[in-house]
Amino acid sequence: MNALQSIGTGLGMALFGWLLQTTISGVTRKVIARIQKRRGPVWYQNFRDIMKLLNKRSVTHGWAFDFGLLVALAGAIGTAMFMPVAGIVAFKGFDNFFMIIYLAALGVFGRALSSGSSGNPLATIGVMRGLTQNIGYKVPYMLLVIALISYYRTSSISEIVELQRVSGWSVLVMPLGFVVAFISLHGMLGKKPFDTYLAPAEIASGPLVEYGGKQLGILMIAHELSVFIEVSLFVNLFLGGGATLPEFLLKYAFIYILSSSLGAVMGRFRIEQVVRFYYKVPIALTIVQILMLAVMRGGVR
Amino acid sequence: MNIIHLILGLFLAGIAAYGIGRLKPAAASWLTLAASWAALLILFLGGDTLAGGNAWGLLAFKMTPLGWFFSMTLLFVYSTNTFFNLSVPAAPTRQAAYPMLYLISLASTIGVFSAENWLALFIFWEIVLWSSTFMIGFGKPGRGSIIYFGMSLLGSFMMLFAILVMGTAYQTFEVKGALMAAAQSPGPALLVFLLMLFSAMVKLGITPFHIWMPEAYHEAPDHFAPVLAGGLSKLGAFTALMVTSFLPASTLMAQPWQVRGLPLLTYILLTVSAVSIVIGTLMAIKQEDAKKLLAYSSVANSGYIMIGMLMGTPMSVSGALVHLLAHALATTVTFMVMAAVARQTGTTRMDELGGLLHRMPITFLAFLTAILSLVGLPPMLGFVSKWLILQSLASQGLFLVAAAAIFGSIGSLLYAFRILSTVFLGQLKPKHRQVREAPAVLLIPLLLLSGVTLVLGIYPYGLVQYTAKIENSLGFADTVQITGLSIQGNNGNLNALLIMGAFAIGFLIALGIFLKAPKSRKVDLMDTYTGGEFIYSPELYSYSTNFFAPLERVYAGLPEISRLYEALANRVRDLGTLVQYLFFSPLPSRTALLISVVTILLIWGEAI
Repeated sequence: MNALQSIGTGLGMALFGWLLQTTISGVTRKVIARIQKRRGPVWYQNFRDIMKLLNKRSVTHGWAFDFGLLVALAGAIGTAMFMPVAGIVAFKGFDNFFMIIYLAALGVFGRALSSGSSGNPLATIGVMRGLTQNIGYKVPYMLLVIALISYYRTSSISEIVELQRVSGWSVLVMPLGFVVAFISLHGMLGKKPFDTYLAPAEIASGPLVEYGGKQLGILMIAHELSVFIEVSLFVNLFLGGGATLPEFLLKYAFIYILSSSLGAVMGRFRIEQVVRFYYKVPIALTIVQILMLAVMRGGVR
Repeated sequence: MNIIHLILGLFLAGIAAYGIGRLKPAAASWLTLAASWAALLILFLGGDTLAGGNAWGLLAFKMTPLGWFFSMTLLFVYSTNTFFNLSVPAAPTRQAAYPMLYLISLASTIGVFSAENWLALFIFWEIVLWSSTFMIGFGKPGRGSIIYFGMSLLGSFMMLFAILVMGTAYQTFEVKGALMAAAQSPGPALLVFLLMLFSAMVKLGITPFHIWMPEAYHEAPDHFAPVLAGGLSKLGAFTALMVTSFLPASTLMAQPWQVRGLPLLTYILLTVSAVSIVIGTLMAIKQEDAKKLLAYSSVANSGYIMIGMLMGTPMSVSGALVHLLAHALATTVTFMVMAAVARQTGTTRMDELGGLLHRMPITFLAFLTAILSLVGLPPMLGFVSKWLILQSLASQGLFLVAAAAIFGSIGSLLYAFRILSTVFLGQLKPKHRQVREAPAVLLIPLLLLSGVTLVLGIYPYGLVQYTAKIENSLGFADTVQITGLSIQGNNGNLNALLIMGAFAIGFLIALGIFLKAPKSRKVDLMDTYTGGEFIYSPELYSYSTNFFAPLERVYAGLPEISRLYEALANRVRDLGTLVQYLFFSPLPSRTALLISVVTILLIWGEAI
């Protein structure tokens, strides 16, 4: 595959990811509405919102406010370009787990930079909470994935998917790890009880407080893309990705809607409760899981 | 031109700077600039084949790839920092001494990296220590330089002891030869290994020897702190790498215990480095002063360097070397930015700053580059090194250490955002409305260093290739591999250019969407959503003190190592009091008793 073709595939992947996640979050809004005995909006409401916002006049708080947003979206698009979905991968051999995590983190940093420069302390508090939450869920999650990488002897996501086709899904290799990773994903997605960094009633949606118009529109696109990255990473790493597109979509929709529905019926943690929570049970389970792996060692290769 | 000329020239320039500084201080600063840039040029053009030499048959010098890499790193830090010497004058009485010490310490670092003889290396090491101690003392009043000197002295004693042990046991002081001799015959090799490594850990600021770092960095003059942080602590990495590669722990105690294919000793030292990462991170998160925060981040980053060197695989050592350079560049920029901020506003306390991005945009961009590199995000150099180190950890399956590395990596996002947010983002304080961008002479080094960080982050291949050469010269069986534009890891490849390309494409798309959408109106920083409150005072409308309070509450009970040192100091003081009470008493009877005991011991001591 030549370079242009790869870039085209990558861009196609990013576009696909955005369309997919925006649709699914629309559907999820409907599902949650039914859980809460409401009618809910139409499934394409999120597309409507984004288009409307991109065409509205808005205010800005300076160049860093806009620049940070661009970095956020660029990080999300760049990361999504590397994501393997159903056997299609744009840059074969370079879909490296560490790279994806760090490039995605650049997007997060851009978002933090942008909302921090708005001058609203509520935004800064929100970012502070978001980062604190980050240090909670990322440590067990990354540790598990490192165990997985050391088990499969590769950090390429598409290769891990391939190997799972041979040896069964990783959820069978590390069942406890799967549970922990799902709890981490729940925090990553910011679903209740881990939506402390948004907390609309308390800190006015935290990092989002100052956004409107095209800035909010860009932020929503970046958000949908990063949710796509998080969920498809999870599906690829633990549920064997998918040989075909429908299989992948099914797993993807199941995981996202499950997490959102769980979020719909829970209350909210305080931020230090989030950290305490993650550093008790999930870390303990992770260590047990790694010890179990070490005992029945061997690996695939 | 050989190394001796270079070192001697810098020494003489230092002495000349003192004389000139007595007459005309500004000229002395210009001399430091000219001399250090000339030295950088000579070393750069000479490459690692720069001729060595032998002075009076006593001091032999030879440039090795490793020595060249370290010398270039330090020289670059030193010479870029000379611009700050121009702009930020030291206190009047020290105007002559500072340029002299600056150049002498620079000359001595080159001496450390090229000496062929352990004793010569030690002498240069000590000159660096002494001169930097005085330069730290030129800053804020406090115990910083004393703690620095005390801790470093501990390291120096350990090093000297190790050198003398090697000298007596193996009859040689040759740097490489003595270590190789030790690797061959067990004897006191373990002692040498530990002492050398401990002395390196003192310099690198690894827990539990890190306490000097925050104090010294905080109190050092703002225009010297970049060199101290970015340059001098790297001396430790040099000796540590020499020891771990010529005298690897695997030859010392391969048996009986091993953890994941590594000797137990290595595993313990790895754990110590991991603890260093965790402690550095946790302490950095809760500092109120920007310079102290950065100092603790150095503690954490030294942990990564140490881990890379201790693992001793080609990839991890490459990671350590790249991280060393990345950290040197980035931390120098961050301290320089703090010096610039302190110069323009008069403080480095984070709660007194804020919103400076609207006043010092170029400084802010340099700072952003450096901070991204410190956190290890692409497309900066710090990402390449973090990637290499994490890859090595994953393939070795060292989960405990990996957990610490991840924790430090995510934690660095926290403190990096804290310093960025409280200094540059948020509300601009009314008293800083008149603050201007730092003068051009200070922006030159900032842009130079952050530019190198960015360029090497996008195109790290030459650098990684050079680390392979270093590994070759250190006697590694195989080295880190690069094919085309991808760095081959044990379980994955890295193509930094591709990552940058994907990011750039994403950025262009984002920019397209942004420009296509209607233009937005610029509003004042105070024009924000407040939930119906009326706000008038920007000073009160910011969030900076106790930034991560909820997280700090989680680990509030963490014991501090400095307490232990204080307790130890108190015990020593008590012992001194006891000795004073016993032997230096005004009572004649006690003196008489003492004299008789000594006399008895002198006469019959042999028999007893």
